[in-house]
Amino acid sequence: MRSARAYKWLGGGGLALRYLFLIAWMLICIMPVVLLLMGSLKDTALFQSVPQILSFSGFTLDNYTQSFQQGNYLHFLRNSLIISFSALAVVLVVCTPMAYGITKLASPKTRNLIVFSVLATRFLPYVVLALPMYLFFARIGLQGTIVGVVLAHLAMQMPFIVWLMLGFFAGIPHEVEEAAVIDGASPFGVFWRICLPMVLPGLNASAILAFIISYNEFLFAFFLAGYDAQPLTVGITRFVGGADVGAQYGVVAAYGTLIILPIIIFALIVNRYIVSGMTAGAVKG
Amino acid sequence: MSSRRHFNPWAFVLPGVIAGGVILGVPVVQALWTSLHRLRLYRLHDQVWVGLDNYLRLWQDPLFHLSIRSTVVFTLGCTVLSVIAGLAVASVMSTRGIRGTTAARFFMAFYLVPFVATQVVVGMMGRLYVWEPEYGLVNYVLAAFGIDGPMWLISQDTAMWATIITNTWRLTPLAVLIFYAALATVPEELLESAEVDGAGGWKAFVQIKLPMIRYHIGFIALIQLTSAFREFDTVFALTGGGPGRATNVLSLLVYNEGISAANLGMANAISFTMLIIVAVISLIYMRLARLGELGQ
Repeated sequence: MRSARAYKWLGGGGLALRYLFLIAWMLICIMPVVLLLMGSLKDTALFQSVPQILSFSGFTLDNYTQSFQQGNYLHFLRNSLIISFSALAVVLVVCTPMAYGITKLASPKTRNLIVFSVLATRFLPYVVLALPMYLFFARIGLQGTIVGVVLAHLAMQMPFIVWLMLGFFAGIPHEVEEAAVIDGASPFGVFWRICLPMVLPGLNASAILAFIISYNEFLFAFFLAGYDAQPLTVGITRFVGGADVGAQYGVVAAYGTLIILPIIIFALIVNRYIVSGMTAGAVKG
Repeated sequence: MSSRRHFNPWAFVLPGVIAGGVILGVPVVQALWTSLHRLRLYRLHDQVWVGLDNYLRLWQDPLFHLSIRSTVVFTLGCTVLSVIAGLAVASVMSTRGIRGTTAARFFMAFYLVPFVATQVVVGMMGRLYVWEPEYGLVNYVLAAFGIDGPMWLISQDTAMWATIITNTWRLTPLAVLIFYAALATVPEELLESAEVDGAGGWKAFVQIKLPMIRYHIGFIALIQLTSAFREFDTVFALTGGGPGRATNVLSLLVYNEGISAANLGMANAISFTMLIIVAVISLIYMRLARLGELGQ
């Protein structure tokens, strides 16, 4: 009954102990990022010990200057933003009506088949797609372009976003739509003016998650984007792999911080949409 | 204006179905087709039909068997650890006095950090600051407890563990979030009456809470299983499949064969095998889930 005792210690135990556990978990979640940030601000051609990295002394911005100059940070940032915003737009334009249409399909059998087929694509290993996509896009002239990467991101995100929006559309009471139809609204009007405003929290969550997932994505961008289209995730691997960096870990840390910190701060600000979006589909009352 | 009355939902559904079908369907067919040929990366016009030759060679390749073994260990390790960690954190978050407080919301915000952290950066961060044997965070903490930490990513014996834990770090937030929301649906009265009957704490957790969120546990386990199975970014940036071939999971093997060895036919044969594996796992899983429902 070791686990029972452990549970009592945590669950039944004092409030202070439970808080201690939660704080410990929080440190596990953020400490690596804190070390990366502090490491990036230190003049390090060599490794430093954990207390040295965390000490508030010896700050320098040299690593950042190098990331911007040799690492071409702004070039890759621009591509990252173009890819993420385009993917976000395409994903929302395609997946939102799709989820709405699915809830309106008359036959439950067809409805289930479509939902199942869409969700099943979530299980496709991306590396399985990336290689043949490379060959496919090469044939139709999309290889190396941002369009190719965005299309790959659309397919990658579709199951998740459709699933998320299905949960929100299913929550609209029938009476609301019926009332609108009686008032003379066209089917598109019902969707556009009645239903969309009602699922606005879902749209916010979808937009935010779609942006974050695209921004972080590496594999498709790595296979499908040429230099002019490459985002930050590919940029850092190019830069770190380059001979001019060598063993300058501070520069790697600075470049990494420039990628990871903006998205983490963004996520902390919009955290409540992420929470509602991710739990809406999975947990219904 | 007949369109007013005859709203066809397919007009909304089809664009997505077609887009998804083309972007995913064509590569899958292409993968199968290429896997039956000999095709080199830099000589794309020179495609020779070899039938099942790539698959036959694959099954005799010890490196492929090694990769299968690494993938199984990695996938199961990440799934089990992230579900257990998720349950532990979510249940402590759900206890009376913490659930619903500002503190709980504050913690949850930071618990999502690994979920939104860019995977390639997580890999590099892990290599430089977390698993570095002499200066890294893990061995620093272990040393504080008087433990002389292992070489982690540098040693073939421990590299897989470090890789599993790094990826579990990334996967756990989803589990915490879903389990925390699911545990909120367990009626408080049920727990109170159980407590009156003498079933509090651990007993209530195992006998009431766990069964009530079993659907969510199964759901998350499947999501984590498939996420870990196809993980590329984190492993690529953390170990690149090494040291030696200690963490060369299938998705990295595909990359190594297709890009590094420029053997597209073989790489697509590995890809298609992965596809079959994931389809079989999903089918078995859904069959089991349905049997579970019937058992109720």
